Amino acid sequence: MRSRTLLQEILAEGGLTVLFQPIMEIGKEKFSIFAMEALSRGPKGSNAERADVLFEYVRRKGKESDVDRACAAAVFKASESLPACCSISLNVHAATLERDRDWPEFLADVCGRHGLPLNRLILEIVEQQKYTDPERFFQAVDRLRRAGVRVALDDIGLGYSNYRMLIELHPDFFKIDRYFVTGSSQKPNARAAIESIVLLADRLGAQVIAEGIETEDDLNTVRELGIRMAQGYYLAPPASIVKKN
Amino acid sequence: MVWHSCAGQVASRLRCVAPMMSITHPQYRMLVVEDESTALAALKKYFSKQGYRVEYARELEEAEAMIITAKYDVVIADLRLSWSYAVEGLEILRFVRHHSRGTKVVILTAYGTPEIQRSARALGAEAFLQKPTPLPEIADAVKRLLERS
Repeated sequence: MRSRTLLQEILAEGGLTVLFQPIMEIGKEKFSIFAMEALSRGPKGSNAERADVLFEYVRRKGKESDVDRACAAAVFKASESLPACCSISLNVHAATLERDRDWPEFLADVCGRHGLPLNRLILEIVEQQKYTDPERFFQAVDRLRRAGVRVALDDIGLGYSNYRMLIELHPDFFKIDRYFVTGSSQKPNARAAIESIVLLADRLGAQVIAEGIETEDDLNTVRELGIRMAQGYYLAPPASIVKKN
Repeated sequence: MVWHSCAGQVASRLRCVAPMMSITHPQYRMLVVEDESTALAALKKYFSKQGYRVEYARELEEAEAMIITAKYDVVIADLRLSWSYAVEGLEILRFVRHHSRGTKVVILTAYGTPEIQRSARALGAEAFLQKPTPLPEIADAVKRLLERS
């Protein structure tokens, strides 16, 4: 038997590592960093070092809230070293907003402790399952919005990040999943889907972020489709913070 | 491409991270699910030497997360992953049958009653081996299953 479960290792001090990946504004002449998405990874050497395994495991354990809290604490600590010019984008499970009644207060408290104003925070909602208590979920989102937090819906076009969720949540940012974006120059159907999402975002007053930009063709395609913000290995890979004395 | 505003400051504080896993030559991919460290280490070492790409999990949910995020040719699972009377190995077997039909499953157990063995067979376990089974015998069973597929 091992002395600790994987969950205990994840939640232990130093169990989570944080990487940051820039979300870029992709102007015709200039690129600038709009926000840094924080990406959490599990303990080094464990299966949870892979993000897909980490979050699948956490969901199966039903511990989204505990791990989202630990991720937030690790992210804000790491982001102290980032310049104050860009926003921080933090992933959170919809289940956490639904079940963890004190999540908005927790977030305000931990941001305050690390000197991060809430208006610099973008909450990326990851929707992996159908919510069971929409009232509680939307109440939590409203409380966060009133405090200045902006909201993004992740993985748009896949799973439960669907039209109904877009209409009900009314996110500030639509993040189009890489499934549609990567290689889209060669996929007319994917381009059509992206176009429809851009149109919807425009009508709903939201901004679109294209994920999964891996080539210059991907970048040019999303730009031609009217998208002004993007993220992906071609622009900048995830990276850890190097602390300067 | 021209970086603007705070890009320089940010870039200077970032260190690129190498991809976490690299894919080598095609080989059978194996998941060993075992909570007992000595047995797990022995299985990993033996099958790695045999040329398998061996990954591991120690808990039911960890195994499920691995199976849902990757495709394995074979899963070797201990029947019990805790001190309770739970039979997590059968849960893993059910999970594999639901999510990864082509994957072969070998169940190992020190507690194999005929009822549990029947359940495992009914759920589609390709092999059910009593502990302690010598590693070469487990390898023979795995090899036969993979050759059959």
